[in-house]
Amino acid sequence: MTAASRFPLVAPERLGLDAVAARSGLHPELIRRFVALSLLDAYRDTEGRLWFRPDAPVRIARIQRLRAGLSLNYSAMGLVLDLLDRITTLELALRTRRDAPWT
Amino acid sequence: MATDFYQVLGVARNATTEEIQQAYRRLARRYHPDVNHDPGAEDRFKEVSEAYQVLSDPAGRQRYDRFGENFRQVREDYDERAAAGAGGRRGRGGPGGRGRYQDYVGGLDSDLFEDMFGGFFGARGAAGPIPGADQEAELELSVDEAYRGGRRRITLTGDQSRTYNVTVPPGVVDGQRIRLASQGGRGRGDAPAGDLYLVVRIASHPRYRLSGRDIHVDLPVTPWEAALGATVPVTTPGGEIKVKVPKGSSSGRQLRVAGEGMPSRRGKPGDLYAQVMVQVPGRLSKRERELFEELATVSTFDPRSGS
Repeated sequence: MTAASRFPLVAPERLGLDAVAARSGLHPELIRRFVALSLLDAYRDTEGRLWFRPDAPVRIARIQRLRAGLSLNYSAMGLVLDLLDRITTLELALRTRRDAPWT
Repeated sequence: MATDFYQVLGVARNATTEEIQQAYRRLARRYHPDVNHDPGAEDRFKEVSEAYQVLSDPAGRQRYDRFGENFRQVREDYDERAAAGAGGRRGRGGPGGRGRYQDYVGGLDSDLFEDMFGGFFGARGAAGPIPGADQEAELELSVDEAYRGGRRRITLTGDQSRTYNVTVPPGVVDGQRIRLASQGGRGRGDAPAGDLYLVVRIASHPRYRLSGRDIHVDLPVTPWEAALGATVPVTTPGGEIKVKVPKGSSSGRQLRVAGEGMPSRRGKPGDLYAQVMVQVPGRLSKRERELFEELATVSTFDPRSGS
């Protein structure tokens, strides 16, 4: 056996609809609806298939937690997700700024 | 309205219903007047809602595709009437009367206003007056303008551009807000409009650095002024002042001049901090060189002795 025939496994950079559905344990149709509601970013290829970033299951988990824990409906969910993202960005900026000199 | 509905939503003309809904959801969240305080956001929100209301309804979209921006002038049952030669059937309701999707597209009533302010957050039942949202716009001032204050004319561009003559109080600081009562988003029904806030941004200045009301400035001095002490002039936004440099001041020393920072309407004005920066001549005359050389042989001062 030659050394060249061994390659390490690399995680795929994008996930298909079925892969995301399987990982999050939800029906693909519900995931598709998340995309239509703009709760989840996805890329549509020319055949209309959806492709997701590898962190999509993490975001879906957050959607499920917010829905279960705070009874948010999916319409309000988008706003809450946006605001949480915005807070994270601002907090990060604030921390970086505090460490830097004031000028 | 002259704008293209597909452009408003940023989708292709052959976009699927799902893509249209996705774009609408994203944009409605971005431009909702409570999320986005930009004065133009409310108009943008209305455009987005109107575009979605038409394009999400298959019949409405079809008519828009065929007749463009004049689609409203075309009767809804145009085809049926044309096919029947003529006819007495009247169109229903108005454009976009249909298109109610259960659950997630709440409140797609033909009343656009209801869709925007009620439907989006599912408060369909909340009839009656709703006060308008506050808006924010940036007002950039130079350090000198902020120091002096005074009248200023500002124009906000948008669907209808608005011009205001604003009196800026002397001594505004970065981030301070000037309130223009009732100039924000329109209220619904008899409810009052929101307020418009002008958020002051102080433009960066080549010499002055602001920290709250305090002004920091570099103070270049000669080696002999720094060593012997001197009184030197410093230009501030309020005019020229004299700063006393104590003898033995090295570079980096902060000299505080109380009360010479930005003025304050109530309370104490800020302070001026002049930071000593010892400068040496780039080229020495013969005499200067002799004197420095003499100083070098005579002096026992070693600034590196401590390290």
